[in-house]
Amino acid sequence: MAIHHKILGVATLLYLLVFFLHILYFSLKKEKALSAIWITLYGTICIHTLGLVLRWIESYRMDIGHVPLANFYESLIFFAWSVTFMLIVMRKKIPYPVITMCASLASLFLMGYASISPSVDRSIQPLIPALQSNWLHIHVITCFVAYAAFVISFVCGLLYFVEWKGVVPPKEVLDNINYRSVIIGFPMLSAGILTGAVWAHYAWGSYWSWDPKETWSLITWIIYALFLHARLVSGWREKRIALISIIGFMSVIFTYFGVNFILSGLHTYAT
Amino acid sequence: MISLLGLDDAYHAPWFIALIALFALSLVLCSLRRLALFVKEKKTIVLPEEDRLLKMDLHSYIPEKDFSETLGLLARRYRLALGDGQGAVLEKGRLSRYGVFIIHASIIIILAGGLIGLLFGYRGFVTLKVGETKDRLTLRGKSPAEVPLGFALTCKDFKVNFYPTGEPKDFVSSVEIVENGKAVLGKEIRVNEPLSYKGIRFYQSHYGSAPVFFFNVGGEKVALMEREAFRKNSLLLMVARYESRVHDFGPGVLVAYLDGGEPKATWFLKNVDRLREQDLQGVRVSLNDIQEQPYTGLEASRDPGVFVVWTGFVFILFGLYVNFFVRHRRIYLLKVPGGLLVAGKALRNRGDLDKEFKNLLEEIHGHTP
Repeated sequence: MAIHHKILGVATLLYLLVFFLHILYFSLKKEKALSAIWITLYGTICIHTLGLVLRWIESYRMDIGHVPLANFYESLIFFAWSVTFMLIVMRKKIPYPVITMCASLASLFLMGYASISPSVDRSIQPLIPALQSNWLHIHVITCFVAYAAFVISFVCGLLYFVEWKGVVPPKEVLDNINYRSVIIGFPMLSAGILTGAVWAHYAWGSYWSWDPKETWSLITWIIYALFLHARLVSGWREKRIALISIIGFMSVIFTYFGVNFILSGLHTYAT
Repeated sequence: MISLLGLDDAYHAPWFIALIALFALSLVLCSLRRLALFVKEKKTIVLPEEDRLLKMDLHSYIPEKDFSETLGLLARRYRLALGDGQGAVLEKGRLSRYGVFIIHASIIIILAGGLIGLLFGYRGFVTLKVGETKDRLTLRGKSPAEVPLGFALTCKDFKVNFYPTGEPKDFVSSVEIVENGKAVLGKEIRVNEPLSYKGIRFYQSHYGSAPVFFFNVGGEKVALMEREAFRKNSLLLMVARYESRVHDFGPGVLVAYLDGGEPKATWFLKNVDRLREQDLQGVRVSLNDIQEQPYTGLEASRDPGVFVVWTGFVFILFGLYVNFFVRHRRIYLLKVPGGLLVAGKALRNRGDLDKEFKNLLEEIHGHTP
């Protein structure tokens, strides 16, 4: 087994540790457990990044060098990384361990799925001609940062319906964090779609082909645009906003997983 | 029914385009209404009374400071929106209020770019064998049509490079643009590296190999591909079908021709002497050879709307940034007995105005002329 697989395995275990530290915090309610959570989270992202970098180096050693953002396995790993990255970016805005717990559970799930599922090819594959472009990096990064922000929005949307005094933050706080993550995710998703369009123009000869992935990313974009309009124009808050963020995330999931597995199209190399 | 409603090609169906047009119209109207609101609001900036300022989250009395001196200090960082000798309103980040307008206008620009492409652009393809020259492209669509390019395209060479693992690494077509019999431009077209000439872009799309049939028609040597026609004097013939094995006689082609307006067809078999050479309409036709030849498939498109779309992209990203991340804030300065009253308010994207306000107060306090 290659070294990057081992390192990423360690990162997966660290996500598990982060989860248990949250459980510890909720049972003991000690500030120390909280700082342990954040220290572990910082450590985890370092190990996770190291794993990605080692995989990158390994691809050059194999003479097919490319950033590890090229197939489904790599996108899962990067998705998990982006969620943790988003947690760290929004750290000051989300001082509620229940949110970090749910988000790192999402990372744990993505890492676990990537390393265990028999349908995921974990080998480093050479970059097919269509993917050999600098637009690959910016397109994939913007899309997954957007997805990660939507994970946090989704977590807030779900927690809105959970009654658990002392653990789940007040509803208006969840509503506010939900909005804050969407205003990061929405511009990022826009940037992801636009960079994808520019890239498609150079690679396929058309900036928009109504490929299933394109169409679904547009649907997702429209749902989050409705979220913003509902909130900013119609003054919707809390329950209805939480519902839209859940629907929006369902659309994200379908754009990311569903399109790959159910519909075929120009993005099929991502499966 | 399905084709009547355009469900087989929904994104180009009239009802779909009408929906988009309706959407664009409502965007225009909404944006104009908003813009009018902002302009009106700008005209009505007023300096609130002291008790209103005290109700703001951020406010502070500053004793014994000179009004105009403090105003000068504030004006270094904020734009003066309103001011007389008694008080002033300063602001920053007004652009944020126009973010919404910029975003919506950009969407209209993008849609307009798409419309330009739809009306004045086209998409098609050119397939070229190595050594072949073509001056027209085949349009994509329900009824295939050809469009002259205005110049000719020659394929000098086509290569596929492979990774050690056997997967394709690179498709390269070396092409030359020929205009008025002169080669004006040579370029290698790869995936992700199209060739653009006179508004038409050529993309490496696919490749393959196809049989080419070498005929001798009345003493003239011609190479034809399947479905390709050739005319010699009164004889018009076309290769209708290719079979690699006709019963046990080896490869053969079915050649169709017109006999007094009547379509007829006959088999030419390469390995059977009696069927290799035949007289069609008094012209001696012989099938000399059949060879598999590689060809390159180039996607060709013309889209004059692309730069309009790109402009829309740049503006929408700028608009999103301005709308969500630029804070529109106002600082109020009022002369009161014994000193000054300073207050601050974020009108959009509240956030760390507290910190900014604190720094501002420290600066005013610490300032000595």
